[in-house]
Amino acid sequence: MSGTGGRTLLTVRGLAKRFGGLVAVDDVDFDLDDGEILGIIGPNGAGKTTTFNLIAGALRADAGSIRLRDAEIAGLPAHKVAARGILRTFQHNRPFKGMNVLENLLVGAHRRVRARPWAAALGLPSARREDAALAAAARETLAFVGLGDHAASDVSKLSFGQGRLLECARALMGEPAIILFDEPAAGLTSVEAERLGGVIRGIAARGIAVLLIEHDMRFLLPLAHRVVVLDRGAKIADGTPAAISREPAVIEAYLGRHAGAAA
Amino acid sequence: MTDLLELAVSILEAGGIYALMALAYLVVLRPTGIINFAVGEWATLASFFSVATLGWWNLPYIPGAVLALAGVAAIGALTEQATVRPMIERGAPILTPILILLGMVVVYREAAALGFGTQNLRVPPPLGFGRIDLGPIAIPMQSAVVIAVSGIMLAGTWAFFERTIWGKAFQAVAIDRVAAGLMGINLRLVAAFSFAGGAAIAGTAGVLQAPLTSAHYLMGLPLAIKGFSALVIGGVGRVEGCILGGLVLAACERLVMRYAPIPSGFAIGVPLLLMILFLLVRPTGLIGARGRT
Repeated sequence: MSGTGGRTLLTVRGLAKRFGGLVAVDDVDFDLDDGEILGIIGPNGAGKTTTFNLIAGALRADAGSIRLRDAEIAGLPAHKVAARGILRTFQHNRPFKGMNVLENLLVGAHRRVRARPWAAALGLPSARREDAALAAAARETLAFVGLGDHAASDVSKLSFGQGRLLECARALMGEPAIILFDEPAAGLTSVEAERLGGVIRGIAARGIAVLLIEHDMRFLLPLAHRVVVLDRGAKIADGTPAAISREPAVIEAYLGRHAGAAA
Repeated sequence: MTDLLELAVSILEAGGIYALMALAYLVVLRPTGIINFAVGEWATLASFFSVATLGWWNLPYIPGAVLALAGVAAIGALTEQATVRPMIERGAPILTPILILLGMVVVYREAAALGFGTQNLRVPPPLGFGRIDLGPIAIPMQSAVVIAVSGIMLAGTWAFFERTIWGKAFQAVAIDRVAAGLMGINLRLVAAFSFAGGAAIAGTAGVLQAPLTSAHYLMGLPLAIKGFSALVIGGVGRVEGCILGGLVLAACERLVMRYAPIPSGFAIGVPLLLMILFLLVRPTGLIGARGRT
């Protein structure tokens, strides 16, 4: 099933993870296409974050497969998953402190660096050209996320919302196939969330697949092309935002429970 | 006036060597967190290698010196792979590789003594022992070589850290190793290169020093102590700190040797006293690390 008609990039089948007696993720299947924004939602404890960590390589699945194009990536450590082109952002922002914004992006570009360190140390022309090209790309990326005026700012001077945009920009610099967002709207004001939503749409428009774990429905539903709903570790719905918000199982598991709590 | 200028030249010369030794600590310390006391022995090995390439094989100076430095750089990288990497990858605390490298000091020193003997070996200077006449003063040729080469090396390392993407990668590894790995930075390559680079830098200090004092298997220890003192005085973290620390240390040492009424043998205590003073009064050094002040 596809929201954009792109090629299938990521195929998740039978994914499962237990912590002792607790089944955190139970036989979950879904696909992710090029340029698609896929949201994973569910109430607290539904297994969203565990699913995220399984894909990012922060946790090891007990069963199931995660294929990027045709290559199995389940069980790879996080840095190897990143090396394959699945880059993540951090919910609590994790910039390299003590560097400025542009330098953070240059570190993010490392996946693309071809020069070896000795070539850089000796100042060889090929390394210099590459440095200059990536610095130019970093400035463009900063402008794209709306941080164009902050290239030389120390990262500690950014607001939380700008820090989140920096996370996006740094991931983009790695030319990823997929960007994973862990609750990107958490802690943002509605204006900041609006802006981030625009950036995420722009990322997908570049053909990069976006997988978001989110529990803010007001942020996710207008943004996602397709939504997977988890409840107690299992997938209970998979479809367009409009379709899943009509599903009785979803309303009961997620929306209903919240509506009940609010009443 | 002439006296002061000559003093200034000798401070620049000694300061250049000390700054290089401090830098050798820094390039290993910055990305790996390891204080590597084997830098003095790397300087020793490189100066013995230069005895071989320049004295025995009669190579022209530049290829001979480069070959000696390449040899010690290879030893640095191999040491990292053989002794440090297995420990780090098994999750050993950072003190483990520091102690292993302290043990490697003995291995290097005894290997140097076995291979080259325990006597002083002369190393030919690149431009002879002449002097350059500069109006009021005449600078010994080797002093000029030391000042120029250490200046180029320090500037080059600064440019690597501050102006290249690889330099930023090294810094990123120091700040957040896990996140740096997620950016695709090859942590093994960074560690191996930092050891090779540290060895080449310490080796440069050794090769520059050797024509002045001869190569000797115990020459490393004073260099290691002075480099460490310069690192502490200048502030651990940045190339500028190494330069400043090296110059301050050399200035104190030369002024004491010249004007203080103490036997010159005691002058070796000056860097230690100065280091203790800084650790007590200003442990971050003259220039603190960026972002960690």
